[in-house]
Amino acid sequence: MTEHWSLALQVAADTTRAYGEFPLIGARAAVWIAAEVHLMFAAFVLGVPMFAVVAEAIGIFGKDPRYDRLAKEFTRLLLVAYSATAIWGAVLVFFLATLYPKFWAYLTAVFGPSMWAYAALFFCESFTLYLYYYGWDRWKYGGPKWGHWGLGLLLNLWGTIVMFIANSWLTYMMTPPRDITPTTDPATIKLWHAIANATWMPINVHRLIANVVFGGAIVAAYASYRFLAAKTDEERAHYDWMGYVGNFIAISALIVLPFAGYWLGREIYQYDQSMGITMMGGFMSWLWVIQAFLIAVLFLTGNYYLWIGMGRIPGAERFQPYTKYLLLVLVIGAIVWGTPHTMIADSKELAAMGGSHHPLLGALGVMSAKNTAVNLMILTTFLSFLLYRRANTRPVVPWAKSGTIIQGAMFALAAGVVLFYGIRGYFVEAIVRIGFSVYQVLAVLGCIVFVTVIDVLMARGAQSLGAIQWGKMPPRSQYALFILAVTFTWLMGLMGFARSGIRQYWHVWQVVQDTSKYAATPALGYASKMISLCVLIFLTLVAFVFWLGGLAEKSTFVAPGDHEGAGGGRHVGH
Amino acid sequence: MWATNLKVVGIVLGTLALYTLIANKIPQVQSEVPQTLTLGANVTPEQLVAAGEKVFNGIGGCTTCHGLGTRAPNLLTDEKGTGPIGARCGKREPAKSCKQYLYESLDNPTAFVVPGYQPIMPVMTKQLSPPQVWSVIAFLESEGGTVDVTASDIPATPSTSTTSPTGSGGGGGGAGSGGFAGGSTDPKAIIAAAGCLACHKLDGQGQVIAPDLTHVGSRRDAESIRKKILDPASSIAKGYEKLAGIMPKTFGTMMNAAQLEALAQYLAAHK
Repeated sequence: MTEHWSLALQVAADTTRAYGEFPLIGARAAVWIAAEVHLMFAAFVLGVPMFAVVAEAIGIFGKDPRYDRLAKEFTRLLLVAYSATAIWGAVLVFFLATLYPKFWAYLTAVFGPSMWAYAALFFCESFTLYLYYYGWDRWKYGGPKWGHWGLGLLLNLWGTIVMFIANSWLTYMMTPPRDITPTTDPATIKLWHAIANATWMPINVHRLIANVVFGGAIVAAYASYRFLAAKTDEERAHYDWMGYVGNFIAISALIVLPFAGYWLGREIYQYDQSMGITMMGGFMSWLWVIQAFLIAVLFLTGNYYLWIGMGRIPGAERFQPYTKYLLLVLVIGAIVWGTPHTMIADSKELAAMGGSHHPLLGALGVMSAKNTAVNLMILTTFLSFLLYRRANTRPVVPWAKSGTIIQGAMFALAAGVVLFYGIRGYFVEAIVRIGFSVYQVLAVLGCIVFVTVIDVLMARGAQSLGAIQWGKMPPRSQYALFILAVTFTWLMGLMGFARSGIRQYWHVWQVVQDTSKYAATPALGYASKMISLCVLIFLTLVAFVFWLGGLAEKSTFVAPGDHEGAGGGRHVGH
Repeated sequence: MWATNLKVVGIVLGTLALYTLIANKIPQVQSEVPQTLTLGANVTPEQLVAAGEKVFNGIGGCTTCHGLGTRAPNLLTDEKGTGPIGARCGKREPAKSCKQYLYESLDNPTAFVVPGYQPIMPVMTKQLSPPQVWSVIAFLESEGGTVDVTASDIPATPSTSTTSPTGSGGGGGGAGSGGFAGGSTDPKAIIAAAGCLACHKLDGQGQVIAPDLTHVGSRRDAESIRKKILDPASSIAKGYEKLAGIMPKTFGTMMNAAQLEALAQYLAAHK
């Protein structure tokens, strides 16, 4: 009960200007918007450099100028988004300092030196970005090109460290080290002790991957808009290709994201069982049903885009009859994944349902069914991509037939392992069942890796059935990319709410209590309105900064087949 | 171009509206801030039960697990033919009244774990105030049993969580600043109060979910055992990797230094 005393003391202390108020929307909503929009821009400017530098490397090694120009166009988007990130970061700091002064003072007392380092690294990152972009044409060939590519790597390094530092602040709020109590003087807390808290590294990894997903989706949406606005076939072809690359990056990274999320969830449970239960089965339990719906939209829309894309590939008609079966698996998987299980319910609701679970849906709501569903959805998406990739080729290696049979067997084996452990999970205890998910994941990842290796080897010298007709895509395919971008962004807002919301009425979990009038964690309905508002603000600003960028720059696309050697690619302005 | 722009805006707004609509159509549950519960000296059983029901369905978060039938026993409905909690609480542990048993469940939930369930319940006396704890006990007693909680059970001022319903310090077996089992340095009392045998086996008693401790002294010395109690993730016994993270990290903070030393030496002697 000593905690109650210390909390009472803290409440009394908090009465001296602990909180400010923001007109109309209130302090919490103001900080929510500032933090969320800043985070969305930050995710974009951290994710894009990762694949910009990869695209540049492909251009260097593959001697394909299209990739070099694609990397430059990615970076141009980055440049204009960067200042917006900084502005929203400053807004967030000002809001925290004026609306939550006491809590902000606490955070600065613990993390002050890391905040200075953050600011210094931000300078480094900014100037590296300027050098990277403005030096693009100057250091284009030979040795200087490698130096330029090194700048890209450096840009990623600075960005990653900056993100890791910021992550330490928010993860400390979630999972402060257990020896820190409400009575601990923040000035006595060792900086590294606070940084290296239980969820710091899982969040770092999760965000690193999520930034790639998010950056890819926004780039794809940008390209789709440019595609729809294109006036020439060449321009349309370029942006069709760019949209495809952006979407490919987003979906590829999305496939591994759940594993990072699983690690984060495990760390939360290990840190505090009650926090984990609040997250997965408490007042937030419906959130995961919404998340399942969003993921289903992502899988269905991502596959839909690939299937439409097969229309521009000669030879793809061989595979199109199979898409209806893939769709069936995805729809069934999505329905199973979205089935609720352990919902929060009072005694009256339990009585109305006739028991603790719905008699039919309860069996589908358990983790065995959900893990099976999501793993089969990942396998199906990979199969869609494989069919897309092979659409316009016919392998000529002597072992092509057996290679295809082995690939089919690998799919069957992986699906078999997933189904076996999914069904077996119903007959064992929870602790054993949790371990089964590892086997399911390994089977799927193993299938993806080995099938891809076989496919790459089989594609050597393959007979071409015709070049991909970039640009020959119906507009609905591009609208699908918009839906993907909106859904990814909304999902990011939702997961941010989950991560932050599990602290409930604590600024720092069980150390600094939120005694403001906004201390209660809102229900999902209110949160969804805030998320939609943040997404709308972000997308509007992104559209604006991209438009501004377009005013200042000419497009840098190169028509397919226009592999110029001396940088003389055709530039078409808008 | 305007038509394209309008379509793009329509797609974006339509998608946002759809997600917002769905999120507003599902049941809306807000996580409340704990309110101070003040119960006067003349509080009636009915008032206690009413207050307890509110805590149970609200801030206590009890319905997150209880009532689902998988994570924790049903309390308000029948549990495997034994009736609701009020009807069975007095028969759970020998020599423990319903009130004592329920208090122990909230104060030291690992002391007795119902077979078939995992020891996942948090220490509720750390999260709820004494009036909240006792009103929940009254509410649970009312579910098929008789309410015998009175105002005299509720401490007048906040006290340590080791306060027991008997008032003599004997029944709770909880852990506060004084440690488990009222601060006793008897290793067997500590093991019983901490609920070690809910997972471990020792001298023929207990479960085999976690490593058997009967010969733990042949595998670990006292230092290693001490470290393991303070930081369960520091080393995982071979063959139990899947159970990593299950053992609570809080035992080190729930027992005093003398208890920790006594327990480490006792287990190290089990060669």
